[in-house]
Amino acid sequence: MTESNNGKGRPVGYRYAEQLTPPEPAQVTDVARTSFEHVYEVDPRLMQTWVLQQEFPNWDTLRIMNSRHDHLDWMHRHFAHKVVTGSELLAEVEAEGGQS
Amino acid sequence: MTLQAERVDEVVSALRGVLRDEQILTSKPDRLNRARVPAPFPVHRWTERMPDLAVLPTSTEEVAAVVRIANDLRVPIVPRDGGTGLTDGAVPLRGGIVVDVKRMNAIRELDLENRTVTVGTGINMLKLNEQLARHDLFYPDDPASYPCSLVGGRIGTSGWSLIGSRYGHTRDLVLSFDFVLPTGEVMHVGDGIGHKISKSSSGYQLKHLFMGHQGTLGIATEATLKLFPKPEAELSPFWAFDNYDDAYACVGALARAGVATFAGAVLFDEHKVAYLRRDDEAYIPQPGDVRALVCTVMYGYEDEVRPAGKRLFRIAREHGARYLGDEISEGDWAARHDRYATPLHGRTKAGQVVPMSWHCEDAAINYTHLPAVTKAWHEIVADLRRRTDVFDDWGMFAYTSGNTGVDYLTEIDVGIWEQQLDDRAWEMWVKAKRDIAAVAISHNGSISACHGSCRDGEVDLVPDELGRGFDVMLDVKRALDPNNIMNPGKYLLDRAYDTGRQA
Repeated sequence: MTESNNGKGRPVGYRYAEQLTPPEPAQVTDVARTSFEHVYEVDPRLMQTWVLQQEFPNWDTLRIMNSRHDHLDWMHRHFAHKVVTGSELLAEVEAEGGQS
Repeated sequence: MTLQAERVDEVVSALRGVLRDEQILTSKPDRLNRARVPAPFPVHRWTERMPDLAVLPTSTEEVAAVVRIANDLRVPIVPRDGGTGLTDGAVPLRGGIVVDVKRMNAIRELDLENRTVTVGTGINMLKLNEQLARHDLFYPDDPASYPCSLVGGRIGTSGWSLIGSRYGHTRDLVLSFDFVLPTGEVMHVGDGIGHKISKSSSGYQLKHLFMGHQGTLGIATEATLKLFPKPEAELSPFWAFDNYDDAYACVGALARAGVATFAGAVLFDEHKVAYLRRDDEAYIPQPGDVRALVCTVMYGYEDEVRPAGKRLFRIAREHGARYLGDEISEGDWAARHDRYATPLHGRTKAGQVVPMSWHCEDAAINYTHLPAVTKAWHEIVADLRRRTDVFDDWGMFAYTSGNTGVDYLTEIDVGIWEQQLDDRAWEMWVKAKRDIAAVAISHNGSISACHGSCRDGEVDLVPDELGRGFDVMLDVKRALDPNNIMNPGKYLLDRAYDTGRQA
């Protein structure tokens, strides 16, 4: 968090506290936890010696997550005009009733 | 830096006769930026690999003039394209001149009738395909460094493509190229003398000789490439297995199926899945019985891909596969085109996160040897990890190299804590690389399917792998580079010269 002391004992900052407060995290494995849906982070207990966990504004976390999807979508369009969806083919194969 | 200051002045003075001042770079940042490669190396030894200067030529004629100067003055010269290779081809081991080809990135000719494009070798495949897409065409050379590697580097390393099982690899896709020999002579090399011939039986087949030499035989400057229609449809299903053996059987069956639109299949072993479940957001939520993965990818017209895809889905089902879902299948495949932009970390044995660089050792392995090689390689890396936290086993992939399933690009990914890579750890790593290469050879494989084999460790075994062929390499090197100026110190080629070290 970007803050400094103004000499009067009060921290001065330009980011609002609520922007730096993600949803209450939930442990998903012994090494990872999640806050926003589809956003995972390393369990902070494992980032205490060599690499310290950074505090991110919520909007930045979500921006990074969303831009990742933008990037992957762009890569699909770059390599082919359309993506055939596997679940559609799987449904057709299952409807065949085990025919090989 | 290896040249005395007066020698650098002499070289710069000579270069000013053939290049503009702004094409000659001597500052430390300019030289440092052209010494870096992705393969980890001890930080305290980075200065050993600095060039004395770099040049930015814009034409074949300028490259030839620079090489002639280097040859006349007996100064080492090292070609550099994207600098993304994993076997240090672009690293100057003895200083000298780095030839950075990035300004030779123009599209010279697009031949829509014969379906070829002629480009400067400094062009990147992603940028090329952006231009080709306007004509609904596609150049399908697709390394994991797709957004940042260059056509010239693909020639110098004889690169491997993720979708090579469908379209071929760099050696199949490059029809011909202009090439500056170590004496500064310019040669056109391809099938026969034609620029756009895909099959000739005239004379020796020289094209392969001048690909994959890691810059030791000269510099490719302009290339003519084979083009395909931009695919209408892509399909990339990922399947999960609760054990490696079923996944291994499945990937073999998929590759042997003979589906025309098949562009590749990949096997993820248990160590790879464990690594992904630890740190990859797509895999963290997967249930614990997901222990091995297989993916396959197809490109073509939709009315080809759909029925072929159903055939592969049936094969996967017969092998006990569980479909992982559309989001992970499509997202993971799209991310495979770009593996160089990923910030990485590993773990100490106590579980603490540490910053690590990615390194990957590869080999070409027949399908029937994959399980034994996989086991032996993990034992080598496990031994490293027992002794130090510098190394972390990030698991293995096996990618089909062709459309019949005969052999696989087999790789083990190793996280390396580069800041802690001291001389002792480096020695351990070099020995491990040698052991990894030895396993590949002992299973009738090749030390590398993709990267090349001229880095410390594996290079020691190249004469063993090639036998009499290595002596032919020495003869060729001596004949074409009489003064050992072209990327000296690589591939044990100093043995071609009586004094062992000329430049």
